[in-house]
Amino acid sequence: MDWGRVKALVKKDLREMFKSKYILSAVIGMPILFAILIPLSTLYPMVVIDPSEFEGEEELPASFSNLMSLIVPNWDDAGAQGQLLILTAYIMYIMVLLIPIILPAVTASETIVGEKERKTMEALLVSPLSETELVTGKILSSFLPSVIGTAFAALTYGIITNITIYPYINSLLFLDVLSIVFLFVIAPLLSILSVELMILISTRVTSVRDAYQLGSLVVLPLIMIVIGLVVSYLFISILALIASVAILLTLCAIFFKIATNVFDRERAIVKLV
Amino acid sequence: MLAVETYNLTKMFHKLKAVDELNLEIKEAEIYSLLGPNGAGKTTTVRLLTGLLRPTQGGARVLGLDISNDLQEIRSRVGHLTETPALYERLTVRQNLDFFAKLYEVPETEIKPRIEEIVDLFELPEKLDEPAGTLSKGMKQKVAIARAMFHKPELIFLDEPTASLSPESAKVVREQIVKLAKKERRTFFICTHNLFEAERLSSRVGIINHGKLVAQGSPAELREMRKDETVTIFRFSTWKSNTKEFFEDKKIEIVEHNQDQKYVSAIIKDIEKQTPSIISSLAKNNFQLVEVKHEFPTLERIYLELVELEGVPREENNMEDS
Ligand SMILES: Nc1ncnc2c1ncn2[C@@H]1O[C@H](COP(=O)(O)OP(=O)(O)OP(=O)(O)O)[C@@H](O)[C@H]1O
Ligand SMILES: [Mg+2]
Repeated sequence: MDWGRVKALVKKDLREMFKSKYILSAVIGMPILFAILIPLSTLYPMVVIDPSEFEGEEELPASFSNLMSLIVPNWDDAGAQGQLLILTAYIMYIMVLLIPIILPAVTASETIVGEKERKTMEALLVSPLSETELVTGKILSSFLPSVIGTAFAALTYGIITNITIYPYINSLLFLDVLSIVFLFVIAPLLSILSVELMILISTRVTSVRDAYQLGSLVVLPLIMIVIGLVVSYLFISILALIASVAILLTLCAIFFKIATNVFDRERAIVKLV
Repeated sequence: MLAVETYNLTKMFHKLKAVDELNLEIKEAEIYSLLGPNGAGKTTTVRLLTGLLRPTQGGARVLGLDISNDLQEIRSRVGHLTETPALYERLTVRQNLDFFAKLYEVPETEIKPRIEEIVDLFELPEKLDEPAGTLSKGMKQKVAIARAMFHKPELIFLDEPTASLSPESAKVVREQIVKLAKKERRTFFICTHNLFEAERLSSRVGIINHGKLVAQGSPAELREMRKDETVTIFRFSTWKSNTKEFFEDKKIEIVEHNQDQKYVSAIIKDIEKQTPSIISSLAKNNFQLVEVKHEFPTLERIYLELVELEGVPREENNMEDS
């Protein structure tokens, strides 16, 4: 594999994407929606309620409370209002984790099916780029904008929630193993998986619009995986987390192989017409 | 070594034989034109040769390399202008050229001077730093041609290179092609339905129809095939009433005679021998001959005869007429 060619492809793709208003607005807009607007509109109403309103409310189940106290510093001192806010903040965190799944599906459609739609794919396919170089390049160029989007989202989300919740626990949220592993390990792996599945789809469709439609079918199961993982971690153990990372890694490798094989030059062209 | 060699190359799309047992041999430094009507299989042939499609049967060697094993090397050593210009419209012309230069591993330091050089050669617009999408159709095509030749490939496939070019631009491109073939011994494989171009440009022409090669040879050889159809025109300064009878007596087949324009066109068997004796006989009989002209059958006539026009869409027929 020649990394020079891969680098040239990625550079070209990123240049193109950042000249597309549509992609730019997805990369910027989705984090703003998921990391700023939705959290603010959920957390803020809870903050303004008078704390006395929460008194006498039913307490969280003890087993659940114990789990939360493992993740959240000073959980027991947070009070009913604080605990509810923290819980909401964690649930909303799933939203942030959706960004690395949805964004790459958008960018992959744009850079792969977009090339077919705009009839530039053929020139790329007659170039000396090998299948592996092409697929690697496309994964990277779909992946990088989502890294930027996710980083921006995670940072903003962390700041907003921590400013809101700090007074209740006098400590910072999301510095626990779960949040960090999710953000830095699971989310990128899901991103890659999402791109690889989009590559499979791209060999079957010729328009970006069709790719989005089929893409939403791909994104859905991945979202279920995220939710499943969050829940399983809460209720089972750190072993489950390690196992799921291992499984995701394997899936990424398998789909990479399938994507390079399926990204067959002939099919890519025949489907152009 | 042959630049391109195909043996029984065949491509089926479901039941349609787009390319049908094609056997081609293209020599080095040759300018070869594959001529054929729409849907004849020209693009499919080229796509097979650069591995965009896999043959259903048969095979081919490109630069001595097998298209079923050595595609990667073939692709790095040939240039391929696809049917559509395939430029990234949001990127500038320079970025487009630069990107492909890198895919073909043109050394970084050579890219800039090469861009200058190729802009000059093909008279590309000065708008190098504007988005390719803002160029006119013909300009895009010229950039695409320049891109296909940027890395100085030994063999260049051009799929309808001048179809969208104005006559001046087409001329520039043709001149470059001829120059590169002569001076640098590059081989050109050109798909076209432009007969004028094929005739002037190519060392050899192949005519393809329904995926089958129906004729092949240099333009002169193809004309030779139909030499007996040469029409000779005799024009006179004054018209004599017995002109027609004169030709009929000599058993010469008259195609047309026109009293106002004062000419007779006829088909003469064995032109070289017969023409001088007819001329002297005309002089003896006091015919005031001002001009004798042979009209050899054009490539166009041969092409149209070989390619039955039935399958061709209507607009195309009209275009041929106008
Ligand atoms: N991907 C494909 N799937 C099915 N049929 C195809 C495909 N590509 C080409 N064909 C068919 O194969 C035949 C040859 O097509 P091709 O594009 O090679 O013709 P061409 O000689 O390049 O024509 P033109 O002058 O119009 O460019 C046509 O009948 C076309 O419809
Ligand atoms: Mg064609």
